[in-house]
Amino acid sequence: MSRVAHGDGEAFARLFDLHAPVVLGLLYRILGSRGEAEEVLQEVFLQTWTQSARYDGDRSSPRAWVLMLARSRAFDRLRRRDSARRRDEEAGAEARLMAVPPVGTERLEARERSERVSSALGLLSPEQRRCIELAFFEGLTHTQIAERLEAPLGTVKSRILLGMNKLRQALSTAS
Amino acid sequence: MSTAHSPRHEEMLPAYALGALDGEELRELEAHLPGCDECRRLLRGWEDDLEQLAAAAPPLEPSAEVRRRILGATGAAPAAIPARSEPVRRRSQAWVWLPLAAALALLVVGLARQARLQGEIERLQGERDQLAQQVTALDQQLVVARGEAQRMAEALSVINAPGGRAVRLAGLGPTPEAFGHTFIDPERGRALFYAARLPELAPDKDYQLWFFADGKPVPAGVFDVDTNGNGSVRVDRLASDIQGWAVTIEPRGGLPAPSGDIVLKG
Repeated sequence: MSRVAHGDGEAFARLFDLHAPVVLGLLYRILGSRGEAEEVLQEVFLQTWTQSARYDGDRSSPRAWVLMLARSRAFDRLRRRDSARRRDEEAGAEARLMAVPPVGTERLEARERSERVSSALGLLSPEQRRCIELAFFEGLTHTQIAERLEAPLGTVKSRILLGMNKLRQALSTAS
Repeated sequence: MSTAHSPRHEEMLPAYALGALDGEELRELEAHLPGCDECRRLLRGWEDDLEQLAAAAPPLEPSAEVRRRILGATGAAPAAIPARSEPVRRRSQAWVWLPLAAALALLVVGLARQARLQGEIERLQGERDQLAQQVTALDQQLVVARGEAQRMAEALSVINAPGGRAVRLAGLGPTPEAFGHTFIDPERGRALFYAARLPELAPDKDYQLWFFADGKPVPAGVFDVDTNGNGSVRVDRLASDIQGWAVTIEPRGGLPAPSGDIVLKG
Protein backbone atom coordinates (compact mmCIF):
# COMPACT_ATOMS: atom_id res chain seq x y z
CA MET A 1 0.00 0.00 0.00
CA SER A 2 2.91 2.35 0.68
CA ARG A 3 4.06 1.84 -2.94
CA VAL A 4 0.60 2.82 -4.12
CA ALA A 5 0.83 5.94 -1.98
CA HIS A 6 4.04 6.81 -3.84
CA GLY A 7 2.26 6.57 -7.18
CA ASP A 8 3.45 3.08 -8.17
CA GLY A 9 1.02 2.07 -10.94
CA GLU A 10 2.07 -1.58 -10.96
CA ALA A 11 1.46 -1.89 -7.23
CA PHE A 12 -1.96 -0.31 -7.75
CA ALA A 13 -2.76 -2.76 -10.55
CA ARG A 14 -1.85 -5.65 -8.24
CA LEU A 15 -3.99 -4.17 -5.47
CA PHE A 16 -6.86 -3.91 -7.95
CA ASP A 17 -6.49 -7.47 -9.25
CA LEU A 18 -6.27 -8.85 -5.71
CA HIS A 19 -9.28 -7.10 -4.20
CA ALA A 20 -11.56 -5.91 -7.02
CA PRO A 21 -13.56 -9.20 -7.37
CA VAL A 22 -14.50 -9.26 -3.67
CA VAL A 23 -15.26 -5.53 -3.70
CA LEU A 24 -17.38 -5.82 -6.86
CA GLY A 25 -19.23 -8.84 -5.42
CA LEU A 26 -20.02 -6.86 -2.28
CA LEU A 27 -21.09 -3.78 -4.26
CA TYR A 28 -23.38 -5.88 -6.43
CA ARG A 29 -24.87 -7.49 -3.34
CA ILE A 30 -25.58 -4.03 -1.90
CA LEU A 31 -26.73 -2.23 -5.05
CA GLY A 32 -28.32 -5.05 -7.05
CA SER A 33 -27.17 -3.56 -10.35
CA ARG A 34 -24.02 -4.59 -12.16
CA GLY A 35 -23.74 -1.20 -13.91
CA GLU A 36 -24.00 0.76 -10.70
CA ALA A 37 -21.68 -1.64 -8.90
CA GLU A 38 -19.01 -1.10 -11.56
CA GLU A 39 -19.46 2.68 -11.38
CA VAL A 40 -18.95 2.61 -7.62
CA LEU A 41 -16.03 0.19 -8.04
CA GLN A 42 -14.38 2.83 -10.21
CA GLU A 43 -15.05 5.55 -7.61
CA VAL A 44 -13.66 3.35 -4.83
CA PHE A 45 -10.42 2.48 -6.57
CA LEU A 46 -9.88 6.05 -7.71
CA GLN A 47 -10.35 7.10 -4.09
CA THR A 48 -7.90 4.36 -3.06
CA TRP A 49 -5.40 5.70 -5.58
CA THR A 50 -5.74 9.36 -4.60
CA GLN A 51 -6.08 8.83 -0.83
CA SER A 52 -3.76 5.88 -0.22
CA ALA A 53 -1.54 8.13 1.91
CA ARG A 54 -4.40 8.19 4.42
CA TYR A 55 -4.33 4.41 4.79
CA ASP A 56 -3.27 3.38 8.31
CA GLY A 57 -1.79 -0.12 8.42
CA ASP A 58 -2.19 -0.25 12.19
CA ARG A 59 -5.89 0.41 11.86
CA SER A 60 -6.87 -2.12 9.20
CA SER A 61 -5.68 -4.44 6.46
CA PRO A 62 -5.67 -3.07 2.87
CA ARG A 63 -8.68 -5.23 1.99
CA ALA A 64 -10.62 -4.11 5.07
CA TRP A 65 -9.85 -0.48 4.17
CA VAL A 66 -10.98 -0.83 0.55
CA LEU A 67 -14.12 -2.71 1.63
CA MET A 68 -14.90 0.02 4.14
CA LEU A 69 -14.59 2.67 1.42
CA ALA A 70 -16.77 0.53 -0.86
CA ARG A 71 -19.54 0.09 1.70
CA SER A 72 -19.52 3.77 2.50
CA ARG A 73 -19.84 4.78 -1.16
CA ALA A 74 -22.45 2.12 -1.88
CA PHE A 75 -24.58 3.33 1.03
CA ASP A 76 -24.26 6.92 -0.25
CA ARG A 77 -25.56 5.65 -3.58
CA LEU A 78 -28.41 3.76 -1.89
CA ARG A 79 -29.44 6.84 0.06
CA ARG A 80 -29.62 8.85 -3.15
CA ARG A 81 -32.00 6.36 -4.66
CA ASP A 82 -35.72 6.43 -4.21
CA SER A 83 -36.28 4.08 -1.29
CA ALA A 84 -39.08 2.39 -3.20
CA ARG A 85 -36.56 1.26 -5.79
CA ARG A 86 -34.40 -0.49 -3.26
CA ARG A 87 -34.02 -4.13 -3.81
CA ASP A 88 -34.05 -6.41 -0.85
CA GLU A 89 -33.49 -10.14 -0.86
CA GLU A 90 -33.87 -10.27 -4.63
CA ALA A 91 -30.64 -8.36 -5.08
CA GLY A 92 -28.69 -10.99 -3.23
CA ALA A 93 -30.35 -13.81 -5.14
CA GLU A 94 -29.77 -12.10 -8.47
CA ALA A 95 -26.18 -11.35 -7.59
CA ARG A 96 -25.59 -14.97 -6.75
CA LEU A 97 -27.22 -16.23 -9.91
CA MET A 98 -25.32 -13.86 -12.15
CA ALA A 99 -22.01 -14.09 -10.35
CA VAL A 100 -19.01 -14.75 -12.53
CA PRO A 101 -16.27 -16.22 -10.36
CA PRO A 102 -12.75 -14.86 -10.67
CA VAL A 103 -10.29 -16.77 -12.81
CA GLY A 104 -7.50 -19.13 -11.79
CA THR A 105 -6.69 -20.26 -8.26
CA GLU A 106 -8.44 -17.17 -6.89
CA ARG A 107 -11.71 -18.76 -7.99
CA LEU A 108 -11.31 -21.75 -5.72
CA GLU A 109 -10.09 -19.64 -2.84
CA ALA A 110 -12.97 -17.21 -3.25
CA ARG A 111 -15.47 -20.03 -3.43
CA GLU A 112 -14.05 -21.72 -0.34
CA ARG A 113 -14.09 -18.39 1.50
CA SER A 114 -17.65 -17.70 0.43
CA GLU A 115 -18.78 -21.19 1.52
CA ARG A 116 -17.02 -20.85 4.86
CA VAL A 117 -18.68 -17.52 5.62
CA SER A 118 -22.08 -18.75 4.38
CA SER A 119 -21.93 -21.79 6.63
CA ALA A 120 -20.86 -19.58 9.57
CA LEU A 121 -23.82 -17.28 8.86
CA GLY A 122 -26.04 -20.36 8.76
CA LEU A 123 -25.26 -20.99 12.44
CA LEU A 124 -26.86 -17.70 13.43
CA SER A 125 -30.57 -17.52 14.12
CA PRO A 126 -32.50 -16.08 11.15
CA GLU A 127 -33.24 -12.94 13.20
CA GLN A 128 -29.59 -12.41 14.17
CA ARG A 129 -28.49 -12.95 10.57
CA ARG A 130 -31.13 -10.55 9.26
CA CYS A 131 -30.04 -7.78 11.64
CA ILE A 132 -26.37 -8.20 10.74
CA GLU A 133 -27.14 -8.29 7.04
CA LEU A 134 -29.29 -5.16 7.25
CA ALA A 135 -26.40 -3.34 8.93
CA PHE A 136 -23.63 -4.72 6.75
CA PHE A 137 -25.28 -4.84 3.33
CA GLU A 138 -27.78 -1.98 3.64
CA GLY A 139 -25.99 0.35 6.03
CA LEU A 140 -28.85 0.57 8.53
CA THR A 141 -28.28 1.62 12.14
CA HIS A 142 -29.75 0.01 15.26
CA THR A 143 -32.69 2.41 15.22
CA GLN A 144 -33.36 1.97 11.50
CA ILE A 145 -33.21 -1.83 11.79
CA ALA A 146 -35.67 -1.73 14.70
CA GLU A 147 -38.04 0.39 12.56
CA ARG A 148 -37.63 -1.83 9.51
CA LEU A 149 -38.27 -5.05 11.46
CA GLU A 150 -40.78 -3.47 13.85
CA ALA A 151 -38.76 -4.96 16.70
CA PRO A 152 -37.76 -3.40 20.05
CA LEU A 153 -34.49 -1.48 19.89
CA GLY A 154 -33.01 -3.51 22.77
CA THR A 155 -33.77 -6.74 20.95
CA VAL A 156 -32.03 -5.50 17.80
CA LYS A 157 -28.94 -4.53 19.81
CA SER A 158 -28.88 -7.94 21.49
CA ARG A 159 -29.29 -9.76 18.20
CA ILE A 160 -26.37 -7.90 16.67
CA LEU A 161 -24.10 -8.37 19.68
CA LEU A 162 -24.92 -12.06 20.14
CA GLY A 163 -24.88 -12.66 16.37
CA MET A 164 -21.48 -11.05 15.88
CA ASN A 165 -20.01 -13.07 18.75
CA LYS A 166 -21.49 -16.26 17.33
CA LEU A 167 -20.22 -15.36 13.86
CA ARG A 168 -16.71 -14.77 15.17
CA GLN A 169 -16.76 -18.10 16.98
CA ALA A 170 -18.01 -19.92 13.88
CA LEU A 171 -15.46 -18.25 11.61
CA SER A 172 -12.57 -19.06 13.93
CA THR A 173 -13.74 -22.68 14.26
CA ALA A 174 -14.08 -22.99 10.49
CA SER A 175 -10.63 -21.61 9.85
CA MET B 1 -12.11 13.61 26.65
CA SER B 2 -11.80 9.84 26.69
CA THR B 3 -13.60 7.94 29.44
CA ALA B 4 -12.19 4.91 31.28
CA HIS B 5 -12.33 1.59 29.44
CA SER B 6 -15.29 -0.56 30.41
CA PRO B 7 -17.06 -3.76 29.24
CA ARG B 8 -19.85 -1.50 28.00
CA HIS B 9 -17.47 0.02 25.44
CA GLU B 10 -16.40 -3.44 24.33
CA GLU B 11 -20.04 -4.39 23.77
CA MET B 12 -20.52 -1.41 21.49
CA LEU B 13 -17.59 -2.31 19.24
CA PRO B 14 -19.22 -4.98 17.01
CA ALA B 15 -22.11 -2.65 16.18
CA TYR B 16 -19.68 0.24 15.65
CA ALA B 17 -17.62 -1.84 13.22
CA LEU B 18 -20.84 -2.74 11.39
CA GLY B 19 -21.83 0.93 11.23
CA ALA B 20 -24.99 0.16 13.21
CA LEU B 21 -24.21 2.19 16.33
CA ASP B 22 -26.13 5.45 16.51
CA GLY B 23 -27.34 8.15 18.88
CA GLU B 24 -25.75 8.68 22.27
CA GLU B 25 -23.86 5.38 22.15
CA LEU B 26 -22.13 6.42 18.93
CA ARG B 27 -21.10 9.78 20.42
CA GLU B 28 -19.89 8.09 23.60
CA LEU B 29 -17.77 5.48 21.81
CA GLU B 30 -16.29 7.98 19.34
CA ALA B 31 -15.25 10.16 22.28
CA HIS B 32 -13.73 7.13 24.01
CA LEU B 33 -11.88 5.45 21.13
CA PRO B 34 -9.03 7.91 20.51
CA GLY B 35 -7.74 7.47 24.05
CA CYS B 36 -8.23 3.71 24.43
CA ASP B 37 -5.62 1.41 22.89
CA GLU B 38 -7.52 -1.69 24.02
CA CYS B 39 -10.75 -0.69 22.27
CA ARG B 40 -8.87 0.21 19.09
CA ARG B 41 -7.18 -3.19 19.14
CA LEU B 42 -10.51 -4.97 19.65
CA LEU B 43 -12.11 -2.87 16.93
CA ARG B 44 -9.48 -3.99 14.47
CA GLY B 45 -10.41 -7.60 15.30
CA TRP B 46 -14.09 -6.92 14.55
CA GLU B 47 -13.18 -5.19 11.30
CA ASP B 48 -11.15 -8.23 10.29
CA ASP B 49 -14.23 -10.39 10.95
CA LEU B 50 -16.33 -8.08 8.78
CA GLU B 51 -13.74 -8.32 6.03
CA GLN B 52 -14.54 -12.03 6.01
CA LEU B 53 -18.27 -11.30 6.03
CA ALA B 54 -17.85 -9.40 2.77
CA ALA B 55 -16.82 -12.73 1.25
CA ALA B 56 -20.38 -13.96 1.82
CA ALA B 57 -21.26 -12.03 -1.34
CA PRO B 58 -20.01 -14.09 -4.28
CA PRO B 59 -17.03 -12.34 -5.88
CA LEU B 60 -17.42 -10.88 -9.36
CA GLU B 61 -14.63 -10.48 -11.85
CA PRO B 62 -14.61 -6.90 -13.22
CA SER B 63 -14.87 -6.82 -16.99
CA ALA B 64 -11.71 -6.06 -18.96
CA GLU B 65 -13.26 -2.72 -19.97
CA VAL B 66 -13.88 -1.69 -16.35
CA ARG B 67 -10.36 -2.76 -15.41
CA ARG B 68 -8.88 -0.81 -18.29
CA ARG B 69 -10.95 2.27 -17.43
CA ILE B 70 -9.96 2.24 -13.74
CA LEU B 71 -6.27 1.50 -14.22
CA GLY B 72 -6.17 3.84 -17.22
CA ALA B 73 -7.48 6.71 -15.11
CA THR B 74 -4.49 6.31 -12.80
CA GLY B 75 -1.96 5.93 -15.58
CA ALA B 76 -1.25 2.39 -14.38
CA ALA B 77 -3.00 0.51 -17.16
CA PRO B 78 -0.53 0.13 -20.00
CA ALA B 79 2.30 -1.34 -17.99
CA ALA B 80 0.25 -3.13 -15.42
CA ILE B 81 -2.42 -5.04 -17.32
CA PRO B 82 -1.09 -8.59 -17.36
CA ALA B 83 -1.12 -10.13 -20.80
CA ARG B 84 -3.62 -12.99 -20.94
CA SER B 85 -1.42 -14.68 -23.53
CA GLU B 86 2.08 -14.08 -24.77
CA PRO B 87 2.24 -12.40 -28.19
CA VAL B 88 2.90 -14.99 -30.88
CA ARG B 89 6.31 -14.47 -32.35
CA ARG B 90 6.19 -13.91 -36.10
CA ARG B 91 7.51 -16.91 -37.99
CA SER B 92 8.97 -16.73 -41.43
CA GLN B 93 7.15 -19.81 -42.65
CA ALA B 94 3.37 -20.22 -42.51
CA TRP B 95 3.52 -24.01 -42.27
CA VAL B 96 5.06 -23.70 -38.84
CA TRP B 97 2.58 -21.32 -37.23
CA LEU B 98 -0.64 -22.15 -39.04
CA PRO B 99 -1.10 -25.57 -37.35
CA LEU B 100 0.02 -24.02 -34.07
CA ALA B 101 -2.52 -21.23 -34.44
CA ALA B 102 -5.24 -23.76 -35.24
CA ALA B 103 -4.31 -25.85 -32.20
CA LEU B 104 -4.24 -22.72 -30.07
CA ALA B 105 -7.66 -21.70 -31.36
CA LEU B 106 -9.06 -25.13 -30.49
CA LEU B 107 -7.48 -24.88 -27.06
CA VAL B 108 -9.00 -21.44 -26.50
CA VAL B 109 -12.44 -22.68 -27.56
CA GLY B 110 -12.07 -25.70 -25.28
CA LEU B 111 -10.98 -23.57 -22.35
CA ALA B 112 -13.82 -21.12 -22.91
CA ARG B 113 -16.33 -24.00 -22.94
CA GLN B 114 -14.79 -25.43 -19.80
CA ALA B 115 -14.97 -22.04 -18.11
CA ARG B 116 -18.65 -21.73 -19.07
CA LEU B 117 -19.39 -25.21 -17.73
CA GLN B 118 -17.48 -24.45 -14.53
CA GLY B 119 -19.51 -21.27 -14.13
CA GLU B 120 -22.74 -23.22 -14.65
CA ILE B 121 -21.70 -25.87 -12.10
CA GLU B 122 -20.90 -23.21 -9.54
CA ARG B 123 -24.19 -21.41 -10.24
CA LEU B 124 -26.12 -24.67 -9.68
CA GLN B 125 -24.13 -25.43 -6.54
CA GLY B 126 -25.01 -21.96 -5.28
CA GLU B 127 -28.70 -22.59 -5.98
CA ARG B 128 -28.51 -25.94 -4.19
CA ASP B 129 -26.90 -24.28 -1.15
CA GLN B 130 -29.60 -21.62 -1.07
CA LEU B 131 -32.38 -24.19 -1.31
CA ALA B 132 -30.79 -26.17 1.53
CA GLN B 133 -30.73 -23.00 3.63
CA GLN B 134 -34.39 -22.35 2.83
CA VAL B 135 -35.34 -25.90 3.88
CA THR B 136 -33.47 -25.44 7.15
CA ALA B 137 -35.21 -22.11 7.76
CA LEU B 138 -38.64 -23.65 7.01
CA ASP B 139 -37.91 -26.54 9.37
CA GLN B 140 -37.11 -24.04 12.10
CA GLN B 141 -40.34 -22.13 11.40
CA LEU B 142 -42.30 -25.38 11.60
CA VAL B 143 -40.81 -26.22 14.99
CA VAL B 144 -41.68 -22.72 16.22
CA ALA B 145 -45.23 -22.97 14.84
CA ARG B 146 -45.81 -26.38 16.48
CA GLY B 147 -44.57 -25.07 19.82
CA GLU B 148 -46.81 -22.03 19.47
CA ALA B 149 -49.85 -24.21 18.69
CA GLN B 150 -49.17 -26.36 21.74
CA ARG B 151 -48.84 -23.31 23.96
CA MET B 152 -52.09 -21.88 22.58
CA ALA B 153 -53.90 -25.16 23.31
CA GLU B 154 -52.60 -25.14 26.90
CA ALA B 155 -53.63 -21.52 27.34
CA LEU B 156 -57.10 -22.23 26.01
CA SER B 157 -57.55 -25.13 28.44
CA VAL B 158 -56.62 -22.84 31.34
CA ILE B 159 -58.80 -19.94 30.15
CA ASN B 160 -61.78 -22.25 29.59
CA ALA B 161 -61.47 -23.72 33.10
CA PRO B 162 -64.28 -22.71 35.48
CA GLY B 163 -63.27 -19.47 37.21
CA GLY B 164 -60.30 -19.01 34.84
CA ARG B 165 -59.01 -15.46 34.51
CA ALA B 166 -56.17 -13.51 32.93
CA VAL B 167 -53.84 -10.87 34.41
CA ARG B 168 -51.95 -8.49 32.17
CA LEU B 169 -48.37 -7.48 33.10
CA ALA B 170 -47.07 -4.21 31.68
CA GLY B 171 -43.47 -3.38 30.75
CA LEU B 172 -41.51 -1.17 33.13
CA GLY B 173 -38.24 0.75 33.07
CA PRO B 174 -36.09 0.06 30.03
CA THR B 175 -38.67 -2.20 28.33
CA PRO B 176 -41.98 -0.28 28.20
CA GLU B 177 -42.93 -2.06 24.97
CA ALA B 178 -42.78 -5.50 26.63
CA PHE B 179 -45.87 -7.14 28.11
CA GLY B 180 -47.08 -10.42 29.55
CA HIS B 181 -50.23 -12.36 30.41
CA THR B 182 -50.85 -14.85 33.18
CA PHE B 183 -53.76 -17.20 32.62
CA ILE B 184 -54.90 -18.60 35.95
CA ASP B 185 -56.91 -21.76 36.64
CA PRO B 186 -57.72 -21.27 40.34
CA GLU B 187 -59.52 -24.60 40.78
CA ARG B 188 -56.49 -26.65 39.79
CA GLY B 189 -54.01 -24.15 41.26
CA ARG B 190 -52.09 -23.75 38.01
CA ALA B 191 -51.24 -20.90 35.65
CA LEU B 192 -49.58 -20.22 32.34
CA PHE B 193 -47.51 -17.11 31.80
CA TYR B 194 -46.50 -15.65 28.44
CA ALA B 195 -44.16 -12.72 27.85
CA ALA B 196 -43.61 -10.81 24.62
CA ARG B 197 -41.12 -8.23 23.32
CA LEU B 198 -38.61 -8.75 26.10
CA PRO B 199 -34.98 -8.24 25.05
CA GLU B 200 -32.68 -11.24 24.91
CA LEU B 201 -30.45 -11.54 27.97
CA ALA B 202 -26.76 -12.23 28.42
CA PRO B 203 -26.04 -15.96 28.83
CA ASP B 204 -25.53 -15.63 32.60
CA LYS B 205 -29.00 -14.12 33.17
CA ASP B 206 -32.57 -15.39 33.23
CA TYR B 207 -35.98 -13.82 33.58
CA GLN B 208 -37.80 -14.94 36.75
CA LEU B 209 -41.55 -14.86 37.36
CA TRP B 210 -42.93 -14.08 40.83
CA PHE B 211 -46.38 -13.91 42.36
CA PHE B 212 -47.15 -12.02 45.53
CA ALA B 213 -48.95 -13.88 48.33
CA ASP B 214 -49.29 -12.58 51.89
CA GLY B 215 -47.35 -9.51 50.73
CA LYS B 216 -44.28 -11.58 49.85
CA PRO B 217 -42.83 -12.51 46.46
CA VAL B 218 -42.92 -16.25 45.70
CA PRO B 219 -40.71 -17.64 42.90
CA ALA B 220 -42.87 -19.06 40.09
CA GLY B 221 -40.27 -20.13 37.52
CA VAL B 222 -37.44 -18.90 35.32
CA PHE B 223 -37.50 -18.47 31.55
CA ASP B 224 -35.55 -17.03 28.69
CA VAL B 225 -36.87 -15.52 25.51
CA ASP B 226 -36.46 -16.41 21.87
CA THR B 227 -35.13 -14.00 19.29
CA ASN B 228 -38.61 -12.44 18.99
CA GLY B 229 -38.64 -11.65 22.71
CA ASN B 230 -41.25 -14.33 23.54
CA GLY B 231 -41.00 -16.56 26.60
CA SER B 232 -43.32 -18.64 28.78
CA VAL B 233 -43.58 -20.36 32.16
CA ARG B 234 -45.98 -23.01 33.43
CA VAL B 235 -46.82 -22.60 37.12
CA ASP B 236 -48.17 -25.76 38.75
CA ARG B 237 -48.48 -24.65 42.38
CA LEU B 238 -50.32 -21.42 43.07
CA ALA B 239 -51.17 -19.76 46.35
CA SER B 240 -54.89 -19.29 46.95
CA ASP B 241 -54.77 -15.52 47.38
CA ILE B 242 -52.45 -13.81 44.88
CA GLN B 243 -52.10 -10.05 45.01
CA GLY B 244 -49.94 -9.53 41.91
CA TRP B 245 -47.33 -10.77 39.47
CA ALA B 246 -43.88 -9.52 38.44
CA VAL B 247 -40.90 -10.50 36.29
CA THR B 248 -37.32 -9.61 37.23
CA ILE B 249 -33.89 -10.19 35.72
CA GLU B 250 -31.87 -12.57 37.88
CA PRO B 251 -28.66 -14.62 37.70
CA ARG B 252 -29.06 -17.77 35.58
CA GLY B 253 -31.27 -20.31 37.33
CA GLY B 254 -33.07 -17.72 39.45
CA LEU B 255 -32.99 -16.84 43.14
CA PRO B 256 -35.28 -17.56 46.12
CA ALA B 257 -35.95 -13.83 46.51
CA PRO B 258 -35.91 -11.12 43.83
CA SER B 259 -32.69 -9.09 43.50
CA GLY B 260 -32.88 -7.56 39.99
CA ASP B 261 -34.89 -4.88 38.26
CA ILE B 262 -38.60 -5.46 37.70
CA VAL B 263 -39.27 -5.50 33.95
CA LEU B 264 -42.94 -6.59 33.97
CA LYS B 265 -45.60 -6.01 36.61
CA GLY B 266 -49.32 -6.58 36.86
